[in-house]
Amino acid sequence: MQTNGTILIIEDENNISDFIATSLRAQKFKAVCTKTAREGMELAASLCPDVILLDLGLPDMDGMEVIRSVRVWSMLPIIVISARSREKEKVEALDLGADDYITKPFGVSEMMARIRTAMRHGAILAGMGAPSEVFVTGGLQIDFGKRSVRAGGTEVHLTQVEYKIVALLARNAGQVMTYDAIISHVWGPYMDDNNRILRVNMANIRRKLEKNPAEPHYIHTEVGVGYRMEAEEE
Amino acid sequence: MGNLFFAPWVRMREGYRQRAYWLKKWEITWKNTLVTAAILAGVTAVAWMYHRLSAGTVNIIMFYTIALIFIPRFTQGYVPGIVSAIVSVGCVNYLFTEPYFQFDFGREGYPLTFFCMMVIAVAVSAVTSYTKEQSRMLAQQEKKLMEADKEKMRANLLRAVSHDLRTPLTGIIGASSSYLENGEVLSEEKKRNMVGHIREDANWLLNMVENLLTVTRIQEGNMRVNKSVEPVEEVLLESVRRFKKRIPDAQAQVRLPDEFVMIPMDAMLIEQVLMNLAENAYFHADSGKDIELYIDIGEGEVIFSVKDYGPGIAPDRLEAIFDGESQTGSRESDSYRGMGIGLSICKTIIAAHGGRIWAQNHENGAVLSFALPME
Repeated sequence: MQTNGTILIIEDENNISDFIATSLRAQKFKAVCTKTAREGMELAASLCPDVILLDLGLPDMDGMEVIRSVRVWSMLPIIVISARSREKEKVEALDLGADDYITKPFGVSEMMARIRTAMRHGAILAGMGAPSEVFVTGGLQIDFGKRSVRAGGTEVHLTQVEYKIVALLARNAGQVMTYDAIISHVWGPYMDDNNRILRVNMANIRRKLEKNPAEPHYIHTEVGVGYRMEAEEE
Repeated sequence: MGNLFFAPWVRMREGYRQRAYWLKKWEITWKNTLVTAAILAGVTAVAWMYHRLSAGTVNIIMFYTIALIFIPRFTQGYVPGIVSAIVSVGCVNYLFTEPYFQFDFGREGYPLTFFCMMVIAVAVSAVTSYTKEQSRMLAQQEKKLMEADKEKMRANLLRAVSHDLRTPLTGIIGASSSYLENGEVLSEEKKRNMVGHIREDANWLLNMVENLLTVTRIQEGNMRVNKSVEPVEEVLLESVRRFKKRIPDAQAQVRLPDEFVMIPMDAMLIEQVLMNLAENAYFHADSGKDIELYIDIGEGEVIFSVKDYGPGIAPDRLEAIFDGESQTGSRESDSYRGMGIGLSICKTIIAAHGGRIWAQNHENGAVLSFALPME
């Protein structure tokens, strides 16, 4: 049978991994479940799945260890499943190299969207798909070649720094980017921890891009973690 | 045999314990001894310098008197004061009165000086011990009161929670067992309907649990939160987004300030407050007109408001609406269940931020607002 891809689910709660696997199989994915981090790491190496869904609270080992050990040898996409109130844990996982996270509890459609985004990025990283030169989501259009941004059909004038932030988010559309990741990308690694400058720039970007800044459509805030650009349309 | 063998050792330990008892009873501690010695040494040094400059025994006695007033202030019990009175008299006699470096208690008036210094020492010791005891008792009483308050809040919360959790759980258990037992006779539409209800109830439970979890983020005991500086607009927008995700039918008008403002807060908690207020407005107003959320910059504070167009709040409930008790037992408790808890949690969160929260009526409904300090 032709599958859409292989997903490895590392989760110790039977009910949750069951529901994830069932929904994935309904979407023609091959789903492999395991309950322990140790087995998960072995399966990651032997199966080379397209995406790993990883719960951080595992019985035998901290889920962070799985991210660390997989990142030693592979860039394959890892999506962390995390509880909502633990922003620090999410940031730590992302900084360790996880690609994205979903917050418990989550719906099927949200999970599928994250998986598709992660797989697209995985393909680009593996050199199988070329990153597109033009990014489109809703009324927002970014041409990386011309460095031009259009919103709702009209050209938007962004400063150098604002463009850098928007381009970075667009290149990683659908995925959350932590404050630290954005800051070190835009201002370099020696910028101090103060993320006020990023917040101010983001407020300006919102006022320029969004038709109604009070109802943002393109860039979403993940409180305590970072920003996420709306995923590109298929 | 054993007793005989151990006897000396036991006696030794007994003796030690007795000595420890006396040390304790007279409050002869290292701290007391050191403080007393230090103050006396300091005064003696000052007096010595003064003595070198001008000879006047009366002023030197004054120096020692001051020391006698201070020593009981910084030590416990009567012993340090009395001991230092004796030492002071001795010092004055030995160092500062002729013949120098000799004790001579035969001089006229000496017993009186000695007596006066003794009285000062004892009186000051008595007064300070009394004040210390008083303030200790006051602090203890205050602590007891605060604990009782917290205990009351916790009990209220628990009572309300167990009451409110039971309703959706009954729905979930009922619907799912009905599905499993009577699945074959139910129509497809009926089944979908039931599962829909299960999801609705589960979502509501999730809301409740998240509310309770936020309370655990407020540190036990000192009621403090972990603050970081966040832009107010992002927090408001994010809570509106989550609110709409939870209640897809809900519409909300958002008004942001023109100014870009960042203030210290636990963003996750403030988001929860805004969600609760928005949800309360949505269910309470029930008018079909959009609720409004907006931010005003006040003097030294940022004011968040949630406005609805509905029946408003009964004037006698305006004060108590955030206390979490107004709902229990009342007719409305099932119509929008759990809002009592949601609002009392709002109050807890805002109080932990050092802000204030209040409810008001306007012509066509209610406004619930809270203010957070800018610093």
